[in-house]
Amino acid sequence: MGLLSSVFKKNVSEEPPKPVAAPQKTDVAKKAETTTKEVKPVVDKITLGYTHLSGCTGCTVALADNYGGLLTLLDKYVDLKYMPTLADVRHIQQVDVAIVEGSVCIQDKLAVEEIKETRAKAAVVVALGGCAAYGNITRFARGGQQNQPQHESYLPIGDLIKVDVLIPGCAPTPEMIRNVAVMAYLLLKGTKEQKDLATAYLKPLMTMAAGCNAACACDIMTSVINQGLCMGCGSCAAACPVRAITMEFGKPNLNRDLCIKCGACVAQCPRGFFNTDVISEYEAINEAIMAALQ
Amino acid sequence: MGAELGKYKSCVSARSTDKEILKGAQDGGIVTSLFAYALEAGIIDGAIVAGKGDLPWKPEPVVATTRAELLAARGTRYNISPNMSLIKEVTRSYGLDKVGIVGTPCQMQAVRKAQLYPFGLREVGDKIALAVGIFCMENFPYQSVLQLVEDHAAMKMESVKKMEIGKGKFWVFGERGQVVQLPLKVTHKYEQPGCHVCLDYVANMADISTGSVGSPDGWSTIFVRSKIGDSVWAKAMAAGCFETKPMETVKPGLELVTKLANEKISKNRKTLEERASFGTGKGLRNPYL
Amino acid sequence: MSKVVEISPTTRHEGHSKLVLKVNDAGIIETGNWCSITPVRGVERLAVGKSMEQVPKIASRVCGICPIAHTLAGIESMEASIKCEIPRDAHLLRVILQCANRLHSHALHNILTLPDMYLPGTDMKINPFSPEEPVRSVAKRLQRIREIGQTIGEIAGGEAIHPSNPRVGGMYKACSPRAKTKMYDLAKEGLVLAHAQMEFMIAILRNYQKRDWAEVGGAKIAIPKDLGYHSQGYLATDPVYGSSSLDECPTWDYSRFKESRPWDWYMGEMEVSLEDPKYPVGGTTKMGTKVNPQMEACTGVPCYDGAPVEVGPRARMVKFKNFDEKGTIGQQVARQMEYPDCLTAMISAIDEYNPAAKVVADYIPQGDGSMGWAANEAPRGTDVHLAKVKDGRVQWYSMLVPTTWNFATCSAALTGAPWQLAEVVVRGYDPCVSCATHMIVIDEDNRIVAQKLIQ
Ligand SMILES: Cc1cc2nc3c(=O)[nH]c(=O)nc-3n(C[C@H](O)[C@H](O)[C@H](O)COP(=O)(O)OP(=O)(O)OC[C@H]3O[C@@H](n4cnc5c(N)ncnc54)[C@H](O)[C@@H]3O)c2cc1C
Ligand code: SF4
Ligand code: SF4
Ligand code: SF4
Ligand code: SF4
Repeated sequence: MGLLSSVFKKNVSEEPPKPVAAPQKTDVAKKAETTTKEVKPVVDKITLGYTHLSGCTGCTVALADNYGGLLTLLDKYVDLKYMPTLADVRHIQQVDVAIVEGSVCIQDKLAVEEIKETRAKAAVVVALGGCAAYGNITRFARGGQQNQPQHESYLPIGDLIKVDVLIPGCAPTPEMIRNVAVMAYLLLKGTKEQKDLATAYLKPLMTMAAGCNAACACDIMTSVINQGLCMGCGSCAAACPVRAITMEFGKPNLNRDLCIKCGACVAQCPRGFFNTDVISEYEAINEAIMAALQ
Repeated sequence: MGAELGKYKSCVSARSTDKEILKGAQDGGIVTSLFAYALEAGIIDGAIVAGKGDLPWKPEPVVATTRAELLAARGTRYNISPNMSLIKEVTRSYGLDKVGIVGTPCQMQAVRKAQLYPFGLREVGDKIALAVGIFCMENFPYQSVLQLVEDHAAMKMESVKKMEIGKGKFWVFGERGQVVQLPLKVTHKYEQPGCHVCLDYVANMADISTGSVGSPDGWSTIFVRSKIGDSVWAKAMAAGCFETKPMETVKPGLELVTKLANEKISKNRKTLEERASFGTGKGLRNPYL
Repeated sequence: MSKVVEISPTTRHEGHSKLVLKVNDAGIIETGNWCSITPVRGVERLAVGKSMEQVPKIASRVCGICPIAHTLAGIESMEASIKCEIPRDAHLLRVILQCANRLHSHALHNILTLPDMYLPGTDMKINPFSPEEPVRSVAKRLQRIREIGQTIGEIAGGEAIHPSNPRVGGMYKACSPRAKTKMYDLAKEGLVLAHAQMEFMIAILRNYQKRDWAEVGGAKIAIPKDLGYHSQGYLATDPVYGSSSLDECPTWDYSRFKESRPWDWYMGEMEVSLEDPKYPVGGTTKMGTKVNPQMEACTGVPCYDGAPVEVGPRARMVKFKNFDEKGTIGQQVARQMEYPDCLTAMISAIDEYNPAAKVVADYIPQGDGSMGWAANEAPRGTDVHLAKVKDGRVQWYSMLVPTTWNFATCSAALTGAPWQLAEVVVRGYDPCVSCATHMIVIDEDNRIVAQKLIQ
């Protein structure tokens, strides 16, 4: 609790949530002259890039599905530097945060170059969605199809580069993308307290990124039930995007023939990870995020 | 100290004023009355509760959108009802925008994780309008309850009227007035293993949590925890849904709740420690790290 | 002397593609090759041996913008192969889903093409993310239209992006009366917005049509009156939904279709001999770079009656509503005209839907290996999936997706346009490139299957 208590005291208070208060556009110029260095960074946006590899653009749609919130994010916090679908930029650039959708076809020279370049030019790399994070359906690929029958082997990006943050799911949810964007903003541009909050929030996603690059319905067996941790809440079944999990006598039954290997189930499972310090402050954190998007 | 009961804004002993609800309720009829009120007041469109399953005393998560459906789900079933399994569907084919959910402390943890880290639960978090938690020391697989009732208590599942854990015993009440009490040391081996790493007794993450412990028979202990909980509780009180007594005036009171919470948490912390060195040079996974 | 210019990758559409253009001294395209360069995930190949339940779930992940089309075409091709009729109300839920997807997709396409267009009365191009009015109100309306589409999709389909509710034999879950009312209310709200958005977009498009020039990379480029014209035919199977081999009178004929490999179609190895560092954003490919569309293209060239055809909104309008406007702008106008249709079709399906009715077939056969196909009118055009299922397992699977149909037709439509406007023409097709990285294989299957269908 220690790490966060000071941060949360602020958040819980009745004052409008300061942490992510919107920079006042009109004052930017004036403020920069008159105020100290500490205020200035909060005014900056973070720069964001979006690399599209072998994914279906569903992750992009999920990002866009923040609806009005997307406009607010772009207005206040995020400067979109490159993104093949939504932005008019062709090449990867230097950014604070690069989001990657899709896995890497190692027989495609361009894809391999792009993932390496993305890593080289970003401070933080986020693997967005099951494909980038775990391979997802591209795990099933085995080549042999025209016009490029040699396109056979697809790897989650974490097998080729170091990944900082992982967002599993297929499609990932707009809310997770929004939360990570706001937290990345706090991490890079916030005060000490805001940085602590962002670090605490992102930590499980960073741990996942540092861990295994494969996901499957089987994870529910191997890392929860087999470990004696399942308590039968049913979150995994609710989270699965292909209804591969049903609950039988209070425990998950996995229809592995349906599973697409997206990793949502075990990530959603409270016995997958549960960072009590952060989740018990759900009220304050959610309020802060919502206020940020006003 | 103090952390074992979680954060709360107020704590009272209470009982529903609705005689019909009280008749089939486990304790003070708090859960059912809260949802029935919230439904009527438009705070929720419906609630995920533990309805009747395909076997006697086996719960099945259902979406109750009427008072009758809520009433049909009264009472405690001491085996797993995966209420979270409906949390997404309730906002989809059921079409609910304001969802109520009841659950054990672990299920309340699942609710909050769903709101803060919604990996596979798009557009669910902001539709959770009222999460009611019930105190929980442990839960059981269905087969455990069956063996406890049919073997240890020598009663057929179908003829059980009520089950209860209280005053250090597992009670089985029969339709024809039989009462069997089993010491808890008998029930321990039958517990769900996942419960042994559980660090929450009084549903710290619910909007409102309730259980029998701390209050007299037929009454319930209530913690009002969140802003939502506070507002719903105030409105329900104003509508005359509950009669209350200050917690300090009832026996055995908060002291017992604290004691049991402490016992559960320290026992399970110890389990977590033991798990860390379970093998030789290798341990079992700790979900809280 | 013609020169070769390459724009790679193209932007503001889905997936990776590029343009290799042979242009004359005036910069007018003589031959245009538009090809996908997205790696081939090989869904048709990986499907073989998998269960008929799983394959449509994987096929859905071919595209995240029209996943509903792929899910439904996938599932219905399985149903066609095993000869499984689904309950009426399951079909109605699918129609609702279909319309919801088209609504969101058309709105997204508006966001992607607006930057090519001008604010009427000005020489200012439109940045849809600009906080300035009137653009901001339009952006908000578009996002609300998308939200309505996605939310209805979520209710009927279980998930907003890749739908989880459709299954072989019908749907997993019926929608409750409350869900039905919610969808109805949303659709009603959407109808008002859709009319407004259609009118706005058509005004913007007509304004572009009236302009003499467009600015590209600092230069004024003359807009030809016949921008994007082609002489190919049109293919559409239904104004809204689609057709399948289970239908009494199918509206697509397998025997009239044939696909060739890019080898027979695209240009061979060439060297880039024209370069424009000022072309937005980041310039065109460097002089001297070797390009080879024949080898690099990731898709094939499907033909109907021996020639490429256009599929999509205009094709549907031409086939079913006597629409006759040609060119890039005509195509975009047709798309806008589909806006209200999405909602009126959806509203009638919701009206007819009975929440109490069953949504799964009583008996789901496991298949004897017969060929079945289903065509779904995806936002971008006819999406045909073909399958053979035996004992619940997929033996053979093929997908003919909208953008694959359009690659060749669009390439033809590039001829005569200034190369700087090639991307504008491409975007008119609302390309969805990652879905197009597949290839149907014509071998003895073709003959066997075609014969069967003719019999
Ligand atoms: C496994 C378990 C262990 C418990 N342990 C304790 C304890 O140690 N100390 C304590 O004070 N109280 C405990 N309780 C809570 C207590 O038994 C009552 O459920 C609680 O006091 C609510 O009573 P009520 O009269 O207000 O609710 P009622 O109006 O009777 O409604 C009870 C609600 O709980 C739901 N429910 C029933 N069974 C389950 C289940 N298995 N999972 C999820 N929801 C369910 C019902 O659907 C209903 O909505 C436990 C409950 C469970 C399920
Ligand atoms: S994770 Fe899912 S939505 Fe994202 S690219 Fe992969 S298949 Fe598409
Ligand atoms: S989410 Fe985790 S704890 Fe809950 S039922 Fe699934 S595996 Fe068990
Ligand atoms: S079981 Fe479902 S949620 Fe889990 S990895 Fe497989 S598809 Fe994803
Ligand atoms: S003891 Fe804990 S894990 Fe077990 S059912 Fe109760 S709250 Fe859940």
